[in-house]
Amino acid sequence: MPVAPPDGDTNTAEATASRPVHRLPFWVNQRLGLLVLIVSLSALFGVLRPAFLDERLVLFPLLRDISTLTVVALAQMVVLSVGHMNLAVGRMAAFGALFAGFGYDRLGLPLPLGLLLCLFAGAAIGALTGWIITRTGVSSFVVTLAMDFALLGLVSLLYSALTENAAFTTKPSGLAELRSYSLADICVGPVCGSPAVPQLAQFTVLALLGLGFLYACTRIGRELLLTGANPAAAELSGIPTGRRVILAHTLSGLLAALAGFMAAVSTGTFRASIGDDFMLPSFLGAVLGGTLLTGGVVSVLGVLLGTSLVGVIRKGLDLLGVGLESLNIYLGCVLLLALSADRVRTVLSYRKVVRST
Amino acid sequence: MITIRDRGARGVAVLRRFSRSTTMTLLCVVLAGYVALGVASSGSFFEGPSVRTFLQYLATPVLIGLAQMIALCVGQLNLAVGALGGFTACLMGVLMADQGVPAGVAVAAGVLTATAVGLVTGLFIVATKINGFIVTLGTMTILLGAQYRLAGTRTVDGYSAGLRDLGRAAPLNVPLVFVTALAAAALLAAFLYRSSAGRRLLAAGGNPLAARLSGISTDRQIVLAHTLSGLLIGVAALTATASLPGVNRSVGGDWLLPSFAAPIIGGVALTGGSVAVLGTVLAAFVMRLIDAARAQFSLDPSWVNFLIGLVVLGTVVGGRIHQTHLEKKGSSRGRTPPAPPESDAQPAVVLPHMGGAR
Repeated sequence: MPVAPPDGDTNTAEATASRPVHRLPFWVNQRLGLLVLIVSLSALFGVLRPAFLDERLVLFPLLRDISTLTVVALAQMVVLSVGHMNLAVGRMAAFGALFAGFGYDRLGLPLPLGLLLCLFAGAAIGALTGWIITRTGVSSFVVTLAMDFALLGLVSLLYSALTENAAFTTKPSGLAELRSYSLADICVGPVCGSPAVPQLAQFTVLALLGLGFLYACTRIGRELLLTGANPAAAELSGIPTGRRVILAHTLSGLLAALAGFMAAVSTGTFRASIGDDFMLPSFLGAVLGGTLLTGGVVSVLGVLLGTSLVGVIRKGLDLLGVGLESLNIYLGCVLLLALSADRVRTVLSYRKVVRST
Repeated sequence: MITIRDRGARGVAVLRRFSRSTTMTLLCVVLAGYVALGVASSGSFFEGPSVRTFLQYLATPVLIGLAQMIALCVGQLNLAVGALGGFTACLMGVLMADQGVPAGVAVAAGVLTATAVGLVTGLFIVATKINGFIVTLGTMTILLGAQYRLAGTRTVDGYSAGLRDLGRAAPLNVPLVFVTALAAAALLAAFLYRSSAGRRLLAAGGNPLAARLSGISTDRQIVLAHTLSGLLIGVAALTATASLPGVNRSVGGDWLLPSFAAPIIGGVALTGGSVAVLGTVLAAFVMRLIDAARAQFSLDPSWVNFLIGLVVLGTVVGGRIHQTHLEKKGSSRGRTPPAPPESDAQPAVVLPHMGGAR
């Protein structure tokens, strides 16, 4: 659901939509457009290539990728909500996965404890980033960029220092099951789930629910949004903006580490290259879903839809025989087209509203 | 760092300010680092071949740093630096090796294509009012795909021997590609500091509203900045093609982070309105020194990224501490005003106001 601060930006589509007098036409709702697009594209690909609807071979890996990338995009969304950016999402994911791998390989931890260690490491590096930004007042772009550089070097150095072939390969019990089990392996009596939905998706669902609750129902969520919409106003209304910024970066680090863990589980090894290609999807998912780069407006559901759209297009084109090399061209065009269309739609709808009032 | 205010300063004041500036610090770091590296290698670092290699691989970082700087100076970001550079290098290579186009024509076509891509990016940003960050993210994705499509998984190396000789040529032990980079930097400095078009560019970046009120089209400046950025990337691709043994799809893959690191270490504010051509060149020097030191002591290549990250963090934190110190003393002149933390982002989708202007 779109969430905007109650008294913040009145010139956003979402804020206007909540007021009955200036009600925007329903087709302006970005989320609805995304859902229609995803369903129609899936149907189109399903008709053109029936293999697209194969539950075990296509949909299962597709949904597993979407689950991971949704968490990545959520990590970006949390910092975007306070008007910041996190260019180091991928590297924070690698950092978290490093700790999980270390825990399993050297400390012999069971699966849940390793995950906890991974989340803790991610949150710590996120908190450090947030603290540097708040204390120095330097823009988050620069700080996270520098963090990206530093972690890029540090993670590879640690891997080559701690392991022989730059990867932790020890698998604790339960990891293989987590990787390959789907809902079909969970049965309540005679009823089993769909074999298309991977078990890894449970983390994504938890993250979605948690963030949805945070932004829609809690005071802290509202304060985060207000900090993003107007930092000066937030400061004047007694919100500890510095602490909220640190909180946002901590959450971002935590989610990035979770995504790193999920990526490591789905590939089976903990290595330094995890998260290399996370930056682009993190922005794609969040921005297509309707989160503003300026802060103050987030959409938790939109992140899921935006990431799904990208995933469906990628997989569909792949199945249609569009080579890997051309795939990026189409994805870039889709991003630019989607955003231009969005802009045209917003302008048109405003004209309509203005004319009718 | 040079802002509009610095123009009237003369004589001793200029010298004193210079001695405290980022450029001066960088110059000291470069000299000290160079000497230290020379001593550590017991003199072999000062000899001809080492100097030549050092300078030859300095050309591309300088040029991509400048390309990013010109985008930063109007408050834009150019994420497509590496992708555009790699695409242009592959385009030149493929034109020469597969199509048999003469080297001169292929190089001209490559540089023109890069400039045109910059122009189109700028026009797209201005026309749709979408944040430049997102637009260049999109063009980056498209160009990466285009580069892969051009080069595939092979390495194109069968291109003109003349261009290669030009890339390796080093009269008086100074490589031609490095001279090209320095010439580009000098031209850019002359444009930014001495021409009225350059001043307009800076004015539009420093305070868009004031610029618009004084009759400067900020839209036109954004288009100009992206076009110039594209042109510089084209030249960077030329130097890369000339000095590398071959081009493949990994060219440009590691350009993005250094392109940001050079201007930021050099003292350019991300908010726009300030440039530091000399600072950016020197910062590229510092990064090259780190790389050379890494090679000298045969360390893991990961150390370079780690150290550059720490240097960037140290620069911004140190700059901020220095500024707070100055403000406490009550003499906060000559520095950029403190940027609010959210200032790195511009409206993603500039919505019309409630009045319905659009």
